Amino acid sequence: MTDTSLPAAANATSAAKIRSGAPANPLALIRRALVYLLLSIAAFVSVFPFFWMIVGATNKSADIIRGKNGFGTELFNNAATFFTQVDALRVFWNSAFIAVVGTALTLVISSLAGYGFEMFRSRVRERLFALLLLLLSIPFAALMVPLFVMFSQAKLVNTYTAVILPTVASIFIIFYFRQATKAFPSELRDAAKIDGLKEWQIFFFVYMPVMRSTYAAATIIIFMANWNNYLWPLIVLQTAENKTITLIVSALTSAYTPDYGMTLFATVLATLPTLIIFFLLQRRFVEGMLGAVK
Amino acid sequence: MAQARLDRREQLTGWAFIAPALILLGLFMIYPIIWSLWMSFQVGKGMNLSFGGLANIERLTKDPVFLRALGNTFTFFIIQVPIMIVLALLFAVALNDSTLRFRGLFRTAIFLPCVTSLIAYSTIFKSMFATDGIINQGLMALHIIGSPIAWFSDPFWAKVVIILAITWRWTGYNMIFYLAALQNVDRSIYEAARIDGVPAWARFTHITIPMLKPVILFTTVISTIGTLQLFDEVYNFTAGTGGPSDSTLTLSLYIYNLTFKFMPSFGYSATVSWVIVVLVGILSFLQFLVARDRRRP
Amino acid sequence: MNRIASRRGLMLGAVLAGVSFLSVAAASAGDVTVWVWDPNFNGAAMKEAASRYAAINPEANIIVDDTASQDDIRAKLQTQLLAGSTDGLPDIVLIQDDVAQKYLQSFPGAFEPLSDTIDMSAFAEYKVAAATLDGKSYSLPFDSGVTGLFYRADYFEEAGFTAEDLNNITWDRLIEIGTEVKAKTGHLLLDLDLADSGLIRMMMQQSGAWYFNEDGSLNIVDNAPLKKALETYAKFYQADLVKPVSGWAEYTGAFTSGEVASVPVGVWITGTIKANADQSGLWAVAPIPRLDIEGSVNASNQGGSSWYVLASSDNKEEAVDFLKTVWGSDVDFYQKILVDQGAVGSLLAAREGEAYKATDEFFGGAPVWQDFSTWLSQIPSVDYGIFTAEVDSAVQAQLPTIIDGGDLDAALQAIHDQAQQQMQ
Repeated sequence: MTDTSLPAAANATSAAKIRSGAPANPLALIRRALVYLLLSIAAFVSVFPFFWMIVGATNKSADIIRGKNGFGTELFNNAATFFTQVDALRVFWNSAFIAVVGTALTLVISSLAGYGFEMFRSRVRERLFALLLLLLSIPFAALMVPLFVMFSQAKLVNTYTAVILPTVASIFIIFYFRQATKAFPSELRDAAKIDGLKEWQIFFFVYMPVMRSTYAAATIIIFMANWNNYLWPLIVLQTAENKTITLIVSALTSAYTPDYGMTLFATVLATLPTLIIFFLLQRRFVEGMLGAVK
Repeated sequence: MAQARLDRREQLTGWAFIAPALILLGLFMIYPIIWSLWMSFQVGKGMNLSFGGLANIERLTKDPVFLRALGNTFTFFIIQVPIMIVLALLFAVALNDSTLRFRGLFRTAIFLPCVTSLIAYSTIFKSMFATDGIINQGLMALHIIGSPIAWFSDPFWAKVVIILAITWRWTGYNMIFYLAALQNVDRSIYEAARIDGVPAWARFTHITIPMLKPVILFTTVISTIGTLQLFDEVYNFTAGTGGPSDSTLTLSLYIYNLTFKFMPSFGYSATVSWVIVVLVGILSFLQFLVARDRRRP
Repeated sequence: MNRIASRRGLMLGAVLAGVSFLSVAAASAGDVTVWVWDPNFNGAAMKEAASRYAAINPEANIIVDDTASQDDIRAKLQTQLLAGSTDGLPDIVLIQDDVAQKYLQSFPGAFEPLSDTIDMSAFAEYKVAAATLDGKSYSLPFDSGVTGLFYRADYFEEAGFTAEDLNNITWDRLIEIGTEVKAKTGHLLLDLDLADSGLIRMMMQQSGAWYFNEDGSLNIVDNAPLKKALETYAKFYQADLVKPVSGWAEYTGAFTSGEVASVPVGVWITGTIKANADQSGLWAVAPIPRLDIEGSVNASNQGGSSWYVLASSDNKEEAVDFLKTVWGSDVDFYQKILVDQGAVGSLLAAREGEAYKATDEFFGGAPVWQDFSTWLSQIPSVDYGIFTAEVDSAVQAQLPTIIDGGDLDAALQAIHDQAQQQMQ
């Protein structure tokens, strides 16, 4: 396996040097045009629904039903309806708290395990890891009732704790970190040992900073999952003041008299945080994924 | 990477690193799973349960709805996963060309769908695929269809929409994995092949694909699990019915209905869950087996 | 190494303790929590009731939680009852009538019988029957799902039909009329969702039938009303009068936008239709058409729900007293929610109030509430049984074949087989 700690840009630059001459023959030009066409279509298809959501948020309900296809002037009215009907601050605070604390805990606990599985291999732990991968395939609906019994016995129903705890040790993220750890240069660990660092110090002071792009990628994935988590929070959160934005928006869409403009405004709002996290971290994202797949 | 035998101290360190995760998994995953395994031998309704041996397995083989859900799940798996993986590969290869302009823009755009919130995405897709929705309007304006397609009233088109939606959401996600792996491939290999006059298609099949095999395996395993557990899309798009005519009912949605919508039959729904585990087990085992052979020098 | 591990354990413990600490405490004792599923309909009605109770009893604190959909409430209720855990449950919950028996029978003891303290003869009989098990009634009946044919009078008029032409007709006649309306105005008659068999249940109930025999066994293959209902359902499609829709949003959109000419539905849709104030005067309501068979009447029911008190509630007495005081006797309250939410209650005495006698300009100045009251008293009472969801899903599985002209007897047999299997 090749060492992946080198930034990808180095390869890219050298390749650019070799291929600096633009494609000259007609066939290559056509091929190039096709590539642009393909990518443009893909990009358009990918982005269009977002655009459509924003268009919808500016129209009033009746116009959306009649199939109006253009920007409207109702954005502020939709916003006003949403903010009067929903205690937005409370709901966003709930979502943000659950997502941020959940993401932080998952990052630490699951990366510790990923590191542990990869760095200290033993037959027992390998078997255990294979078993965990298999358990990844259990549908969550099957675990919900026993989980609920546990949290209710622990008197934790309707708490953030009950929402966060079951997601913290994520088999997928452990798997991801284990794969990424394969790219962690062992010389660094050896050097740190010679300097007298203990294993936990190596993890927190050497591994974590070196693997920051892996952490960036994982942050996006985990934050997204926490922010969008639906089934479990639905069951375990009981009172209105504890509910997350995902639960609230979902309920808005099923009212007897749905207000589409307002609902679409709410979906735009509910999507913003994950988009912001993505744009903040995306520069490191590709590098992070790079580690995971080796 | 070859590892020397671990000494006792290192063994303990290894356990210490994975201990927090293991304790949590044990509590919130292994224990409920064992509970559900035990439940799968119980029959009865609501809270009145009794030991039924293999009665649930027997019921499974005679259940037309289960067989439909299994069939649908496999249809989604067999059609959607290859389409998505091929598309993701194509985009990744196209974007890997360093002379391409707007790479960052294209990459971000194609990746964007997978960071959207589930609720937003299902609300939007439902409105776009409504009978008067923008998709029908567009297809009619382009004269591809003469009259609007009732996407969710037709068992065939409903499946098509689900496949389109999952592909929309997850292609960019898989693409990023390939893109990352491609950037690791030493470009001089490509240049050498080019200079030797190897055509583009052959470069793709003989260099790119073999290089990406481990990544393709990884994404295939993840997508297999994802598709066999498919729930979010079908639940949100069909208001939980899996309709029309059960044409989009998946195993996960069936489990949900058995537990929360129908007369609660918890033992039986646990049995259906275990079917997914066994299926994923077999499929993953096959996939890993293939991979292991290829990695051998 | 052990020292480090334990230090990390301590750290983790501290973090978790912090998380628990930050969580919000549950509602305090003395509060009565109510789960409802629509902020503008049953939520608003419940809030009105709460404020009336507060006026009589200032100590009381009724908390109305309208932040979950009906599906969400069912999932939450079922999980917690299955788990045998009650501390997450509210004191009062709203349950739709046709699923009530499922909860009553599979979770014995979970709900408080109300017939001991509240006189059930004050309510519409069929509503009380839906919540009665072993001689005890468990709910305070809320809204009626009495049905009507809501239609665009302007479209029908354009095609030459008056209100009289729609009075007490059969579904077959409606199809004939609808065909002419379509020919003259271009508007389809109605919109239907193949994943929702509400119309078929409505047709069965107006003929005094349901999916089950008295002993609870399946009644499908020889169920004449069901067969006729499926046949009629298919006719709508074969006459090309249906706009196919999927999901609630598209369903309501088709008639509130003026695209389709009518909607046969429960009275609780009134608020949704009246939300489009610009259509005032264009709508009218006719009695629901009947099936062309013996015993079918021009009155039926769709949906409708009732209040249930959880037996686990710490504030049972207060909850029951609240229901009894406001919902069980305040006639004026029922006038208020009829006007504001279009909620037709089930308290018989309320029918004599002012609002029920008033006319409504939105519906062309017709005495619609009086009409609904009349129809309400004619609804045949049926036993919804405990497996309606299962059979519904078996019916829905056959609908695409049926509308394509598939053999009805074969479809009934397939419905029977699937439902039989699911009822284990």
